[in-house]
Amino acid sequence: MNAVSEIVQELQTRLSGVPLEPQATRDGIPTVWAPKERLWELLRYLKTEAQRPYRMLYDLSALDERERTHRQGQPESDFTVIYHLLSFERNEDLRIKVALKGESPAVRTVTDLWPAANWYEREVWDMFGIGFPGHPDLRRILMPATWQGHPLRKEHPARATEMEPFRLTDDKQAAEEEALKFRPEEWGMKRTGEDRDFMFLNVGPHHPGTHGLLRVVLQLDGEVIVDAVPDIGFHHRGAEKMAERQSWHTFIPYTDRIDYLGGVMNNLAYVLAVEKLAGIEVPERAQVIRVMLSEFFRVASHLVWYGTFAADVGAMSPVFYMFNDRERIFEIIGAICGGRMHPNWFRIGGVAQDLPRGWDKLVRDFLQYMPPRLLEYDRMVMRNPVFKARTVGIGRFTKDEAIEWGMTGPGLRACGFEWDFRKKRPYSGYERFEFDIPTAQNGDSYDRAVVRVAEMHQSLRIIAQCLDGMPAGPYKSDHPLATPPMKERTLHDIETLITHFLSVSWGPVIPPGEAFFGIEATKGNNGYYLVSDGSTVSYRTRIRTPSFPHIQMLPLMCRGRMLADLFSILGSIDFVLADVDR
Amino acid sequence: MQSPPDARGPFPVKHGGDGSADEVVRQNVLLTRLQDIVAWGRKYSIWPFNFGLSCCYVEMATSLTSRYDIARFGSEVIRSTPREADLMVVAGTVFIKVAPVIRRLYEQMMAPRWVVSMGSCANSGGMFDIYSVVQGVDKILPVDVYVPGCPPSPVALMEGLLLMSKAMGREKRPLSWVAGAQGVYRPAPISQRDLKRPERQRATGLRSPDEV
Repeated sequence: MNAVSEIVQELQTRLSGVPLEPQATRDGIPTVWAPKERLWELLRYLKTEAQRPYRMLYDLSALDERERTHRQGQPESDFTVIYHLLSFERNEDLRIKVALKGESPAVRTVTDLWPAANWYEREVWDMFGIGFPGHPDLRRILMPATWQGHPLRKEHPARATEMEPFRLTDDKQAAEEEALKFRPEEWGMKRTGEDRDFMFLNVGPHHPGTHGLLRVVLQLDGEVIVDAVPDIGFHHRGAEKMAERQSWHTFIPYTDRIDYLGGVMNNLAYVLAVEKLAGIEVPERAQVIRVMLSEFFRVASHLVWYGTFAADVGAMSPVFYMFNDRERIFEIIGAICGGRMHPNWFRIGGVAQDLPRGWDKLVRDFLQYMPPRLLEYDRMVMRNPVFKARTVGIGRFTKDEAIEWGMTGPGLRACGFEWDFRKKRPYSGYERFEFDIPTAQNGDSYDRAVVRVAEMHQSLRIIAQCLDGMPAGPYKSDHPLATPPMKERTLHDIETLITHFLSVSWGPVIPPGEAFFGIEATKGNNGYYLVSDGSTVSYRTRIRTPSFPHIQMLPLMCRGRMLADLFSILGSIDFVLADVDR
Repeated sequence: MQSPPDARGPFPVKHGGDGSADEVVRQNVLLTRLQDIVAWGRKYSIWPFNFGLSCCYVEMATSLTSRYDIARFGSEVIRSTPREADLMVVAGTVFIKVAPVIRRLYEQMMAPRWVVSMGSCANSGGMFDIYSVVQGVDKILPVDVYVPGCPPSPVALMEGLLLMSKAMGREKRPLSWVAGAQGVYRPAPISQRDLKRPERQRATGLRSPDEV
């Protein structure tokens, strides 16, 4: 708690007139309530003037407080906007909250401090109807422009079956298509330049090169990209709203489908956040099983990226090799978890089952098989002159730009910045493993590929250590909130029977509080910010995904490049649309 | 004339033989109706539209790669434009925001065209009974085959494809807008659940999850 007082004290001495109210949270992240009028000044101080500043706007979201009961000691608020900042120098987070009142709340924009705030504020507007005066372009981002209401407000229906059945009449079709039409003037774009006309090219939302439902509208001068407008929300599955009706336990399968190439890696971020709220210690064996499976998924996800990226820049055959290797990983995943892409294998307090007999042979065989393959792919892809010509120097950005736009993961490390949560804030026992953090220097498409390829080698190194040092012991915690409970704790008498029944049918009751947990996922930092109101469901689940800020950065990466470079850039970002839109 | 004898096609090649005129005719002459031979051709060259919505699309793409190799069934010619495609595999969640786009793409495909709904989301909304998701693609387009799973494995998709191919071979369509009856005859879809239930009910010993 020293750290809390340190930054809060600094704020109180330096900004003496600003009344700040600290709040205790389960995750220990310093949290302060700031008055709405002074918020911008406070954030500006934190970003630019503070000692060891908070340079990254890590997340920006909101919370509908109107139905929350457990908020003792917190200022009155109907809607709270939450700014989650990250300081690399301190290796610390800071959460600033602003209380807003009434049906049409608003708070000054921070887009002039962080360009990354643009999409986050649009999302908050879309989901909560909170206005941001001064925002350059406050319009819906996830929902269709024709949508009525703000889905994450408590009064908005969650289920499609609670709403009027969806019908696509010809009139509606025409109206929706009209609403999707791109009008350059609405985005502050000119149709003509000094001596030339610009062409507007619509790519997506369905296009083979966008890896999913992403739409990018390009302003072209000949073949040169003048500007780009990414349009998202075509893949919005309402995961955050879903968490408000699924029990803490039954939300786990929904997390698999956030970064759908990351499999159990998504479970990890979620269960770690729930465990932090509930105060559950996870046994060592469960931790190592989690690490091993997560690293397998990191390799699987990187293999999909590797093959499709090569295909994006014209190499047709690598993807066949890489998907085959991914199948080998799925054989192991299938043997252990029984599933392929979405194993839904982690549980609150541990994992679903112990490792099956014979798992070690499968893993050992794979560890022998894979490294030579990766070396072969180096020759096939990374050293291929065509691949290099299409990627070296393309989509370049600097470390400072990356931080400014909220980029994390391999993209940030490709700018020469060694930042990895597994090393900086070891979780789930990563401190026990020996591995390196690969970095590269140029921040271009090629270097992002260099980092990911090197990461696969490191993941294999971690898996090898899991294999050799798999500890004995239980695979699930004996904490009463671990779900489902250990079999030994059930079916003894009526008491244990009832407890078991409640835990499985209603789900565990997680104590009230707030906690965030971020992990180094396949594509960058993935984190879950959970607010419990002391019930069997989450009051609010905020999912901080890496792909959202990464796609927001797209225009910066492709301005001035050729049209064909767009696909080299998109491929190098490695995003999943479900990870962008949730 | 009967429908083609087996998956090797209507021209079974027999090696050896007596070389009689009778045999040569049997080996080289096929009597069929134009309608049937067209249906047979369609059935073995289904060109899918390169179209994906979410997670299921990754499994659909996996079915193209060498481990599964959808080319065995003549469906590896993925078309990136709807105008050249016969089959739309709706692989993934049908979002309200993207429904008008899906409908437009479907309309751009030329008849005859078929739709496979791949995965629980496209079948019924699946686990996503949520404000932004259409509860099944059949709310906006006609569907020929539903493939269950979340996501279905590539093998399941191929089973769906084969079922569809079989149905396509039995389909009767007018050859021209001036010749013959104009209706389309399609065999009624069969519920695989009902078909396979007796066999599934006979299964008593399940593999233990404790063993690889």
